[in-house]
Amino acid sequence: MSGNKAGSMSLNLKVWRQKNAKDKGAMVDYKLDGISPDMSFLEMMDELNTKLVKEKGDSIAFDHDCREGICGMCSMMINGQAHGPESQTTTCQLHMRKFKDGDTIVVEPWRAKAFPVLKDLMVDRGAFDQIIAAGGFINVNTGNPQDANAILIGQENAELAMDAAACIGCGACVASCKNASAMLFVSAKISQLALLPQGEIESEARTQAMVAKMDELGFGNCTNEAECEAQCPKGIKIENIARMNREWFKGAIGSRN
Amino acid sequence: MSSKKCSTSTSIGKKQIMGVTGLLLCGFVLTHLLGNLTLLIGSDAFNKYSHALTSNPLIYVAEVGLLALFLSHIVMAIKLTIENKKARPIAYHTYTKSGRGGDFASKSMAISGLITLIFLIIHITGLKFGTHYDTTVGGIEMRDIYKTTVEYFADPIHVVIYLVAVITLGVHVSHGFWSAFQSLGLNHPKYMSKIELASKLFGVVIAVGFSALAIFCFTRGGH
Amino acid sequence: MTTIKKLDGKVPTGPVQERWKSHKFHMKIVNAANKRKYSVIVVGTGLAGASAAASLAELGYEVSTFCIQDSPRRAHSIAAQGGINGAKNYPNDGDSVYRLFYDTVKGGDYRARESNVYRLAEVANSIIDQCVAQGVPFAREYGGTLSNRSFGGAQVSRTFYARGQTGQQLLLGAYSAMMKEVHNGKIKSYTRREMVELVMVEGKARGIIVRNVVTGEFEKYVADAVVLATGGYGNVYYLSTNAKASNASAAFRAYKKGAYFANPCFTQIHPTCIPVSGDHQSKLTLMSESLRNDGRVWVPKIKGDKRPATEIPESERDYFLERIYPSFGNLVPRDVASRNAKNMSDSGFGVSATGKAVYLDFQAAIKRDGEDKIRSKYGNLFEMYQRITDDNPYKTPMMIYPAIHYTMGGLWVDYNLMSNIPGLFVLGEANFSDHGANRLGASALMQGLADGYFVIPYTIGNYFATEKFEKVETTHPEFEKSLTESKNKFDKLLAINGNKTVDEFHKELGHVMWDNVGMARNEVGLKDAISKIQAIKADFWKNVKVTGTNVDINTQLEKAGRVADFLELGELMALDALERKESCGGHFREESQTEEGEAKRDDENFCHVAAWEYQGEGVKPIRNIEELNFENVKLTQRSYK
Repeated sequence: MSGNKAGSMSLNLKVWRQKNAKDKGAMVDYKLDGISPDMSFLEMMDELNTKLVKEKGDSIAFDHDCREGICGMCSMMINGQAHGPESQTTTCQLHMRKFKDGDTIVVEPWRAKAFPVLKDLMVDRGAFDQIIAAGGFINVNTGNPQDANAILIGQENAELAMDAAACIGCGACVASCKNASAMLFVSAKISQLALLPQGEIESEARTQAMVAKMDELGFGNCTNEAECEAQCPKGIKIENIARMNREWFKGAIGSRN
Repeated sequence: MSSKKCSTSTSIGKKQIMGVTGLLLCGFVLTHLLGNLTLLIGSDAFNKYSHALTSNPLIYVAEVGLLALFLSHIVMAIKLTIENKKARPIAYHTYTKSGRGGDFASKSMAISGLITLIFLIIHITGLKFGTHYDTTVGGIEMRDIYKTTVEYFADPIHVVIYLVAVITLGVHVSHGFWSAFQSLGLNHPKYMSKIELASKLFGVVIAVGFSALAIFCFTRGGH
Repeated sequence: MTTIKKLDGKVPTGPVQERWKSHKFHMKIVNAANKRKYSVIVVGTGLAGASAAASLAELGYEVSTFCIQDSPRRAHSIAAQGGINGAKNYPNDGDSVYRLFYDTVKGGDYRARESNVYRLAEVANSIIDQCVAQGVPFAREYGGTLSNRSFGGAQVSRTFYARGQTGQQLLLGAYSAMMKEVHNGKIKSYTRREMVELVMVEGKARGIIVRNVVTGEFEKYVADAVVLATGGYGNVYYLSTNAKASNASAAFRAYKKGAYFANPCFTQIHPTCIPVSGDHQSKLTLMSESLRNDGRVWVPKIKGDKRPATEIPESERDYFLERIYPSFGNLVPRDVASRNAKNMSDSGFGVSATGKAVYLDFQAAIKRDGEDKIRSKYGNLFEMYQRITDDNPYKTPMMIYPAIHYTMGGLWVDYNLMSNIPGLFVLGEANFSDHGANRLGASALMQGLADGYFVIPYTIGNYFATEKFEKVETTHPEFEKSLTESKNKFDKLLAINGNKTVDEFHKELGHVMWDNVGMARNEVGLKDAISKIQAIKADFWKNVKVTGTNVDINTQLEKAGRVADFLELGELMALDALERKESCGGHFREESQTEEGEAKRDDENFCHVAAWEYQGEGVKPIRNIEELNFENVKLTQRSYK
């Protein structure tokens, strides 16, 4: 049995507090008692916020929404790791039983030039939307496309495309990369669409456009350390980055413009 | 969707230049190692090999090419590193590797590259531009580079520096070789694990091979 | 005294199969070159909102989208697991548009419009084609064709799926279509904005007031039509499977501006959720219903038995679903399974530390098929369960409990998906929907996308082509008035400075709703609920504590605004449940049941939609009625004995 199972825990928290985008911000220490090991990490943060509100303090702002590991909204750097220590788990699915009574836990926002902090642990990930808007789609309008079964897709490619499409866009790859690179996120979308016959046609141009946007937004470069893959809550693989590199190369040497 | 930029200004372009130059440099290092194995045969063999290389007029072209490879590899590395530092202007209070990601080699490319560069300068000044001796092999007058080499490695400090450097180089290429394939997108689930293994083996061969030569020279005691 | 209105759904006449086709032909069209002169506001970017925004922008309209989250891709449609229905009949098992229509009307317990449901079934196939064209990675067979599975008790295999993440993949498809139009400059996407007011000018919906949650500023946006695609209101119950930010405020603001709220009491409860572990619980997690195919539901025969499940001998276990419903056993419909689990827990047989759970046991299946077989079927679900509860379901039985999952009620719309307010269109879960009193599995995704991709693009054109539009600016006094009203509301919330947190009020409301307006309702309980909710509401406006300011991000303030609306909506739900004296679908009135304890409809008196009309603070709203006619699917009573 891993970690804590019963009883209540006391924790020392070091949380990044920053009033707004312009504020300098600092780490602030909090002590929190009576934490149940069955709580999720976010429920622990809820408890802390309740305590803060009761003490007339400003609650800690953090992003969260579905709390079932799929929306990609939650985004904390916990003890120096994106979404905390457990592999393939988002912060909302991380439970306090993975920590020990008396632990000190450091909670910080994602750190990247392209993800400016808005408040406390909340960052602006609008850059991801901009990258998708640069080309992360298939140019098809709503209407009457051919019958769904007219496009045959081998099971292997369908599965690989789905593996890549499982990306939740949380930004853990950027947060965990020592270079704050967004390559895993970008490559997941490029891979998904490149693996499918519907998306293959535009693949080279799409890759050029998305990579150019990614660079423009100030993300770092990939140094093939695979920390993104290791900390990705959905286990997106760096073979997608290789596929993107290949698509990019094909576009760079092959296209006319 | 036609906002294409020239290769060196994009992240992937730079990475691919790193990859291609890195692979070519791997080729040079391997050739260098194989050529230097003539040391083990004896002074004449080594000197003849060296003479054959240096007397060929194409050597200047090759050296310029090699210099260009090194320079572009280094310049790209510096550019990438500066950009990467800029991408995270505020550092984390606590930043921990998961332990599930890349190995030691992948995390230390910048530092292992830097050590290799410093060593390269020491290495060239100490040997290529080291003490000049002449000798005659089979009636042909040539540089006695063998003598220069064994004299150089008679000094244990030189040996230690050399060992540290070539092991660092081995570590550098053990990731770099695989990494080039990844950057160029030359990956495939079936053979990617083999390339990774080959990359590690290559690192070991480089480290062990050059180390063995240095130790061999040291055991010659300067003769 | 206002009188009860008989509402007209503006349903076309003729054979049900021809209605949508003929309606499409008869609707007026905006000339291609003129479309750019019309602007549309789309609130919410889930399946319905994103697909509508993309499709309208492709046609040439100027579209603005608004979402609460930091990206349109995070809408809660993303959490749907199971799949999406389509009547493609690829497996050759006898499916057809008519059968999908028939099943949906029947599944909804005859409380939906036949015409709407037929249209839904008809466009379902186009949705599948559209999504494939967008690159949605549906599951495939070895030969490359699409896979289908049977879902939620359907007799045919008509569900398309992308692993257990169908909602995510469909949403990302719609999102990418939307981002394509952002790229083309036809959509302006506004994120981290919460709609706080609908603005009407001369009786038409012409804009919205949003609160920018980053700056705290109130912003005004004007358009020629407003599309609400803001999802359901399950979070009235505090604990539900909805996302934390899912709320009813946009719809409820529209209601207060005169839009009718239809069938608010129609909520769906899902039987297989992971139980509450304590008061700290913030949200419930759903597990696929398919678990009941192999799991056996039981509780100990002895009240309050505290022994671990594995130590309770076979003879002391009560497999209550198998006992009460011998022919359907553990596979009874969602509402029946849920109700019985709650009954067992309420009468003291519940398990877990809270007593609010029943066992779902796989030992028999593991013994029969082997652990590997069970792992291959449910591996990821078992893993998820273990991640949350730290219990290994291969060794000890799972614990499950029902949870609020979907709301069939919503703003009333006509056949064109327009509410009674001209220019206010409502799509997806936010409208009162084609699911009647109960939604079938894999139908929510279908409806959201049908509304967005294939209905609104036609009907909004008809609205533009048939109405005259005055030029309106955001400087119009109506915008100023609405902005001031919302600002005052938020300032008031900040000024109360009481002693209870927003969550405490929300939890109180949730308890009342769950106990009295949950899966079994009765007159006494509902009346009690109404007075309790009124008391909570009064206390809320006196005692709520919201710290922070109205500038910069203030998550407490956001929550407070939503809970203020939930409190009023909760009361409306109880009122609707009270007045609908029949049982139907997910709405079970204890006074109206068959001798076997089954839901008993009263078609004589309640074969209609109840559409509530707001009458002002403290005044009972009017219950307007839209009669439902069933010409194709005969009214029958269901039985699972």
